Amino acid sequence: MIRFDQVSKRYEGGHEALSQLSFEVAAGEMAFVTGHSGAGKSTLLKLIALIERPSHGQIVVEGQSLAKVGRGGIPKLRRRLGMVFQDHRLLMDRTVFANVELPLTIGGIAPAERSRRVRAALEKVGLLAYERQLPDSLSTGEQQRVGIARAIVARPAVLIADEPTGNLDPQLAVEIMGLFAEFQDIGTTVLVASHDLPLIKRMHKRVVVLDHGRLVADIPGEEVL
Amino acid sequence: MTEKAAPRSERSQARRFAGWREHHGWSAAASLRRLGGRPLGTLMTVAVLGLALALPLAFYLLLANVQSMGNALGQNPAVSVFLKTDQAGAQANLLAGELRGRADVAAVTVKTPQQGLDELATLQGFSGAVHALDDANPLPWVLVVQPRTGLDAAAVDKLVESLRGERAVDLVQDSSQWRQRLDALLDVGHRAVLVLAGLLALAALLVVGNTVRTDIASRSEEIGVLMLLGASRAFVRRPYLYAGIWYGLFGGVLASLLAMAIELALAGPAAELDRAYGGRLMLGALPWWLLLAVPLAAAVLGWVGARLVSAWQLRKAA
Repeated sequence: MIRFDQVSKRYEGGHEALSQLSFEVAAGEMAFVTGHSGAGKSTLLKLIALIERPSHGQIVVEGQSLAKVGRGGIPKLRRRLGMVFQDHRLLMDRTVFANVELPLTIGGIAPAERSRRVRAALEKVGLLAYERQLPDSLSTGEQQRVGIARAIVARPAVLIADEPTGNLDPQLAVEIMGLFAEFQDIGTTVLVASHDLPLIKRMHKRVVVLDHGRLVADIPGEEVL
Repeated sequence: MTEKAAPRSERSQARRFAGWREHHGWSAAASLRRLGGRPLGTLMTVAVLGLALALPLAFYLLLANVQSMGNALGQNPAVSVFLKTDQAGAQANLLAGELRGRADVAAVTVKTPQQGLDELATLQGFSGAVHALDDANPLPWVLVVQPRTGLDAAAVDKLVESLRGERAVDLVQDSSQWRQRLDALLDVGHRAVLVLAGLLALAALLVVGNTVRTDIASRSEEIGVLMLLGASRAFVRRPYLYAGIWYGLFGGVLASLLAMAIELALAGPAAELDRAYGGRLMLGALPWWLLLAVPLAAAVLGWVGARLVSAWQLRKAA
């Protein structure tokens, strides 16, 4: 579950990225956050991952108020989230397997268990055959799928994705979104920031629309045409 | 009776400990691989550390040997009392007897003018001069006074002063004075070595710190990813701490090897010097424990340097 309650974010220099934003994504729900460039989509995700702190208001993730998470608690919170980035953020000098394994190594999971879970995650995104390869040898779409496998391998309760299909062709983008929907089906809360309206429409999921940091529309999945 | 299964929290703690231990192993191996991946840079850093740490070791070796030379040559400090040339053997023996009765005197040896002349003749370059004297002997009677063992410098000074006050005495030479001066000089030397070692240890710390800083800066992207994935600072800095340990350890091993090489290079001349003094000098090598302690201390130093820098760098990255 993710809840924003009257959240504002003003950066140094005065730019207000989010203003009085309130909405809630229920546990196990999938929602899109959309809006033009600069609408505040990325800031919203950064606030959830505690990369940034809100200037005002309260954010609750999985029942925990982020205002109460101190500096030392940030890693623990991030270990409960799965994050997918537009630029994948893979470590190019490590194999696909090692990249996907990272959250489990960080979480102190035993090697045998890690190996089992990494293979399961890679199988889920259809890249088990590439486990020994370096990310450089994969296509952009495959690299994004490695990023997704890494985000879900630790079985996070919440999955957030920032423009995960930004560099992909439409067919691949649909496949990736299909993967997110599958994670929602097994109870993961999924929040995807995207400006790809045709793709969002195809998914028939809830859409939160931002404009200049303000919530201008909150459309339920069944009303998305 | 069947054993009860460990509670869930204990199992989870054991798993976490196993993971922590495994990450230590991985960090140690990965940092070593990274060092091996850029051999020239690693060699340069290790060489600088090795030279910096070998320098105080070499000075320590020098001072230790000068000290043992001083100990060997100054084992029996004596006060030479030269009587006036008009004093005869009877007066010399009389004064010797009086001195033997003193509590601060251990022994008195009487040297005749002839014995003095014979000793002089054995010294290189003096035999011609001694022969030129014909039968005339200008040397006085000499009493060699051995102060009692354990007498402090002030008591020896007092003894010397009282000997100078004797009517029959022309000159008193205190051979223990050079030993005192040497000891004072060695004290200064020891202090200088400590200061030098401290400064060079600081330099080693800065060298490791700077190398690790560059290392962290070059991997800032990876660090950013790890932190986004929930890695703690301890987790992120672990490989860099091991890098610091490796740099220190290898630098320390090189320093010990260099010190041993210096010892080896000086072994020949030192043995000749020792022979010249009849094997009394007891010149020694660096103790084995010191050669082992240097790499270990350097590893700790490397760890400290890496720890300080990584804490600072990662605070910026967080």
